[in-house]
Amino acid sequence: MEFLRRWWKLIALLILLAFPWVYREPYYHSLGFFVLLYAMMATSWNIMGGYTGYKSLGHSAFYGLGAYLVAIAANKLGWNPLISAPFLAIIVALVAVLLGWIMLRTSGSAFVIATIAMLLIFRITALNLREITKGAPGLSQPLPPWSPEFSRMPFYYYILFWLIVALFVSWYIRRSRFGLGLVAMRDDEGKAEMVGVNTTLYKILAFGVSAYFVALGGGVWSYFTSHISPIYAFDILVGVDMILMTMLGGLGTLWGPVLGAFILVPARDLILFKFGSTSIYLAITGGLMMLVIIFMPKGFLTTITDWVENRHAPRAAHQGARSMADIYDSSSEKKQGEDESSHE
Amino acid sequence: MNEMLRIACVSRRFGGIQAVRDCNISVQSGSITGLIGPNGSGKTTLFNLITGVYSPDEGEILFEGKTITNLPPSRICHGGLSRTFQITRLFWEMTALENMIVPIRQVGFRSLLGPDMFRNEIDRAMGLLERVGLTHLKDEPARKLSFGQQKLLEFAAILMADPKMVMLDEPAGGVNPTMIRFIMDLIRDLNKEGVTFLVVEHNMGVVMELCDHVIVLDQGTKLAEGSPEMIQTNPAVLDAYLGT
Ligand SMILES: Nc1ncnc2c1ncn2[C@@H]1O[C@H](COP(=O)(O)OP(=O)(O)O)[C@@H](O)[C@H]1O
Ligand SMILES: [Mg+2]
Repeated sequence: MEFLRRWWKLIALLILLAFPWVYREPYYHSLGFFVLLYAMMATSWNIMGGYTGYKSLGHSAFYGLGAYLVAIAANKLGWNPLISAPFLAIIVALVAVLLGWIMLRTSGSAFVIATIAMLLIFRITALNLREITKGAPGLSQPLPPWSPEFSRMPFYYYILFWLIVALFVSWYIRRSRFGLGLVAMRDDEGKAEMVGVNTTLYKILAFGVSAYFVALGGGVWSYFTSHISPIYAFDILVGVDMILMTMLGGLGTLWGPVLGAFILVPARDLILFKFGSTSIYLAITGGLMMLVIIFMPKGFLTTITDWVENRHAPRAAHQGARSMADIYDSSSEKKQGEDESSHE
Repeated sequence: MNEMLRIACVSRRFGGIQAVRDCNISVQSGSITGLIGPNGSGKTTLFNLITGVYSPDEGEILFEGKTITNLPPSRICHGGLSRTFQITRLFWEMTALENMIVPIRQVGFRSLLGPDMFRNEIDRAMGLLERVGLTHLKDEPARKLSFGQQKLLEFAAILMADPKMVMLDEPAGGVNPTMIRFIMDLIRDLNKEGVTFLVVEHNMGVVMELCDHVIVLDQGTKLAEGSPEMIQTNPAVLDAYLGT
């Protein structure tokens, strides 16, 4: 057990690295790609929705914008999507900062509605800006140069790399004063402002960061599918999935969104395969979501770790406490270190 | 003595209620100034106006000679003006220690993103927690603390921002006599270290013992001011309190 606690991240990474060589059919590479893609995007969404508590339902707007920018750059300028995506995602993040500057004057359900409206505006624009987007039929872009039976694997490793980057960013933010301010805002935004946290700036920055990896994901996805159209690129369900995964795994935790993606993406595939219908998937995830919200409002990860904690250390402080205590006590005491790995 | 805070002709209304009316107040630096008045006389509203929660309909607020009217609360805090709330406000899900780390006076981008400077601040936070006797609770979520401990934590936490002036909204409200004594000693010590205080308090014993200057508010405007002794014998003040 002790061994697992210490090394599980490395073990998980090795498993993920080996996965495409063990399961060689393109289907698995494709499934693996989507698991990692959604893990990355949910991690990104969680920086805003989880840490700060501003739950955007319109993150698909950044997904679609990333997808279109990458596709257009590939067609018009001949840019390789895997190189251009991380850079074009910066543009999307800046757009998000600008939109956040407007939308983040609202909060609660007004903010949620503003984000949905934002998504609809993007979608309608994509449908109607035909000279650039080709409208409803959508855009195609050149296929990857790799041989077809091999073609999913580079995507898989590429997105695995960016998932690690996203996790690092999420972890780093949560550990920084910036992240502490975000979490404080989730508790009491007015009080945070009163004690010197520039809440407007924090929110807007967090919104931009959380748009970044979603836009990057959209860009990579557009190369992956090679054909994009507004209804799929600006599909509200893409954003809803990120939220479901985050909430299922553990809102506001580092690993929760990843866990959620690793459960929900294969489950979705299984359901689609078994019943061949998206509406059944929606019904099932909807039902699952209700169960999670009722019985495990903090998600799997937090519920399970709380449970373990309460059995082993009845008075252990909550998660945030530990991350802070870690910094303070990192050298001297390590008595709480037992179930720490599950949080980090 | 210099003037630390000046409220000049400030008014603010909420719907039909004129909560603060043409109010003129000045707080000398280095003082412990008391702000008293019957319920609903506008004391809390005045705090909210000073700290930027509301903006005044009319008038101006100056801190150290510079206007802070319409500045966002975080900027006012960075300037060195902090406050507590009549009903304690903390980050309830965060630990006592985290509650200490959030308040901040001035940040650049480097300190925003670098976890390194935590250690320094954690040491300061632990020092302040020690001072209010909460060290053993540093890893407890704020919501688990007792009422009095929460009040102390809120007080200690705003000190992390290194304020020049602290405004306390009923610091002795609802706490036991031992704790009142403790809070009074803390205020006096901090005052000796150079912190200016503006204290709203209903407990007259506390006001009379603690404050060197008292301002009386009634129906949103200043009714009287002076030394505690003068206030106690002022007929207009007695009138306002006893009612007619
Ligand atoms: N946000 C608000 N909206 C409406 N009325 C308010 C608001 N804040 C304060 N008031 C009113 O202003 C008056 C002064 O209240 P307050 O400043 O809380 O008095 P005090 O703190 O002296 O007891 C009261 O009549 C109160 O109802
Ligand atoms: Mg009041």
